[in-house]
Amino acid sequence: MRTRDIWRRQPRLLRIVLIRLALIVPQMFGVTLVAFLLIRLLPGDPARLILGNFATDESIALYREKLGLDKDVWTQFAIYVGNILKGDFGTSPFTSRPILEDLADRAPATLELILYAVICTVGLGVTIAVVSVVKRGSPFDWGARIYGFAAGALPDFLVALLLVFVFFYLLGWAPAPFGRLDLMLNTPPQVTGFLTIDSLIAGDFEAFRSAAGRLILPVLTITIVNAGAVTKMAHSVFSEIWDSPIVGHMRACGVPEQQIVRAALRNSLPPIISVSSFILGFLLGAAVLVETIFSWGGLGQYAVQAVINSDYAALQGFVLVASAFILVVYSVADILYEVVDPRIRT
Amino acid sequence: MNAPVADPAAAPTGPSGEGAIVVLDKLSVGFGDRTVLNGIDLALRPREIFGIVGETGAGKSVLARAIIGLLPPGGDVTGGAVRYRGRPLDAFSPAEAGSYRGGKVALIGTNAKALLDPVARVGDQIARVVRAHTPMDARAARTRAIDLMREVGIVEPERRARAYPHELSGGMAQRIVIAMALAGNPEVLLADDATLGLDATVQAQVLESLVERSRDRGLSVLLITHDLGIVRHYCDRVAVIRDGRLVEEGPVGDFMAAPATGYSRDLLDAARARPALQAPLAAGDRPPLVDVRDLTMHFAVPGSVLPIKAVDGISFAIAPGETLALVGESGSGKTTAGQCLMRLIDNTDGRIFFDGRDVTDLKDRAFRPLRRHMQMVFQEPYVALNPRWRVADLLAEPLALVEPMTAAERARRVAELLALVHLDPRLADVRPHALTAGEQKRVGIARALATRPRFIVFDEPTTALDIRVRAQIIDLIRGLQSSMNLSALFITHDLNSVRSLAHRVAVMHLGKIVEQGDTEAIFERAEHPYTRKLLAAELPVDAEPAAAAP
Repeated sequence: MRTRDIWRRQPRLLRIVLIRLALIVPQMFGVTLVAFLLIRLLPGDPARLILGNFATDESIALYREKLGLDKDVWTQFAIYVGNILKGDFGTSPFTSRPILEDLADRAPATLELILYAVICTVGLGVTIAVVSVVKRGSPFDWGARIYGFAAGALPDFLVALLLVFVFFYLLGWAPAPFGRLDLMLNTPPQVTGFLTIDSLIAGDFEAFRSAAGRLILPVLTITIVNAGAVTKMAHSVFSEIWDSPIVGHMRACGVPEQQIVRAALRNSLPPIISVSSFILGFLLGAAVLVETIFSWGGLGQYAVQAVINSDYAALQGFVLVASAFILVVYSVADILYEVVDPRIRT
Repeated sequence: MNAPVADPAAAPTGPSGEGAIVVLDKLSVGFGDRTVLNGIDLALRPREIFGIVGETGAGKSVLARAIIGLLPPGGDVTGGAVRYRGRPLDAFSPAEAGSYRGGKVALIGTNAKALLDPVARVGDQIARVVRAHTPMDARAARTRAIDLMREVGIVEPERRARAYPHELSGGMAQRIVIAMALAGNPEVLLADDATLGLDATVQAQVLESLVERSRDRGLSVLLITHDLGIVRHYCDRVAVIRDGRLVEEGPVGDFMAAPATGYSRDLLDAARARPALQAPLAAGDRPPLVDVRDLTMHFAVPGSVLPIKAVDGISFAIAPGETLALVGESGSGKTTAGQCLMRLIDNTDGRIFFDGRDVTDLKDRAFRPLRRHMQMVFQEPYVALNPRWRVADLLAEPLALVEPMTAAERARRVAELLALVHLDPRLADVRPHALTAGEQKRVGIARALATRPRFIVFDEPTTALDIRVRAQIIDLIRGLQSSMNLSALFITHDLNSVRSLAHRVAVMHLGKIVEQGDTEAIFERAEHPYTRKLLAAELPVDAEPAAAAP
């Protein structure tokens, strides 16, 4: 009872954050286990695969011993976890580099892309939803409905190619779809891995312009494709609140319309947070077509390469990093969700 | 005060010589081709409290919304106008309309908990309204909000201002809504069934403080209600509305003494009705059908160390054919007790005997055959009825569970059940949303009767019903009681509704039964102060001569 009392007396925010942090540990352990078992489930003996058809049984047995395959599954798992904790994800036979280095090179590219994309997607989707609810029945509302209906059916590669065709090829406004930075420029020293931020830290405005310019089309692509779903969801949540007695009462009290919109939006936040976190997690792998078209060199492309090359160690590394990322995103979303809704008890 | 009103309806109403503030001039409101208000003429004078009485669907709420200029979607003023100090509302610019709402005329709605923003602190919500009408910085607005909360009778307003609506009781939330209405310093308050659904004692307190504030500030109040006791107690003048038309209007004293129309007389008679007290059942040596001993139900609360003691060791017994009324205010644990009795939730302690058998620890499987003998009529009929089913299906469902029968037999039983609760057999084919609240209650009761039970728990069967419908439901239950020899537990917060129905009454307060006895004893010689307080909270339609009529 006493520890419980002490716990109850802590500020609500602290309790929410501590609970979420404590949950991350077992969740991460579970993810690691799944990533490990995933590879174990694949058919074939790795030693035989690596040594080839002509290897003798003895050499295979020796090699199995070297790989640790002669030990039982749980010992192997313990070794695997130990290696990961040391930062050793293994080496990719195809890039001949430690997998962790490969991932660390590529992750910032994808993260920069999808973070900006999610901000734009949610911003645009929610804005469209709010305006179309407030101006219900207006041409804007109809346009928004048609967009919400059509956006889900647009393939991202098509949008990407159309944007490249119009803005690079026809109009010449956008830079060429070749990577994150003009090849003639030096990459700013890595601090965050985000070129837009690192270039500003380095005071290199030319690099910033190039990096930001090259982000525009891929971010626009992802935004156009995904904002429709956000619009639909935000529309249904927001319009429900907009028609509720809460808004009617605020209006009857003479509260200015702008403040009513703000309060209604505040009430619609929880599901918007959930959907944003979902899209962020989903884009980590799903942005691969966009990454490919813009030669982005991101995580998605790396994972596809790994699948094509049967590079299981790299794939395992990707799964682990992606899961960890999604876990962090969902945890943050959970915390925000509880923070914005005081009715949730903790 | 200014602008003489040209409207003839307002002219003869001003003995004080002051012009009316708000005038309805042959106001008609329609939703599509349905007319909800039909040529209403009304004038609200300064500093008067004007009661509007009518049953559900009469158009009272639409009237309030028309005055504030916010009709529900689909509603249009189809004729006439609302004038504020001589100016028609539709001539207001959007900015004027904004300061009119809340600044000149404020609306206090029903069910305060649904009106408050659930994710904002109540103090901030009041401050929001304050700032909408008077430009000031956030800090000053907060201080003003706390002053307003104190004014409407909230203790510890500084602390309460930081609460979220879900942390407040219904009465407290209603006071917050009143504070919001006062925040813009309006001249007119429209109270639209502002205390509906609150406990009688809380209702009295909230109304009292509302009226007191209005008198202090010299406000005019339009008090919309279906409770004639409230009108009798607080209003200067009254108007009766039926089906969107003004039936009659006049000073409350005259109205109470001699209503002009038959409809008003019916309403008054229904409100005055004090049916004879139910006599206790002839004492026999029959063992009780239901026997509850030390029933206890504690809920662990996340966020608190102490459990909520919803039901805290209550004991009662119900003989065959007897009706026990379990009376208490919301939060007293009466509904929880009913749910424990039906084994819908597992009580934490105490024993429940049904027909001499201890059913407390029976497994669901073993208990199920007993369920046909114990039924429950739920509080909110609309929520408890599957909206996608027709009435016939709703009634046939429990029948199918009891015994196999042919379609023809089932149809016959459904017709019997409908007849039993006095419903038109043609209603068998409609879905719940097409029924009135009273009809939904009847379907709920018919559903409970389908298995021919020996014991029924009625959970608040008369709340939120118009007074005439309430009387009909009580008559129905009383009829069933004697014709079927039913035992019943009648859970209600309305003490007076049980006087003709219950053989015995148990008064519940904070999880405990504070007083229990024959109905007559409770009504005539209540001993516990809480029982007396409950009895006194209802506003009588016929006041003692001492309370001077206006």
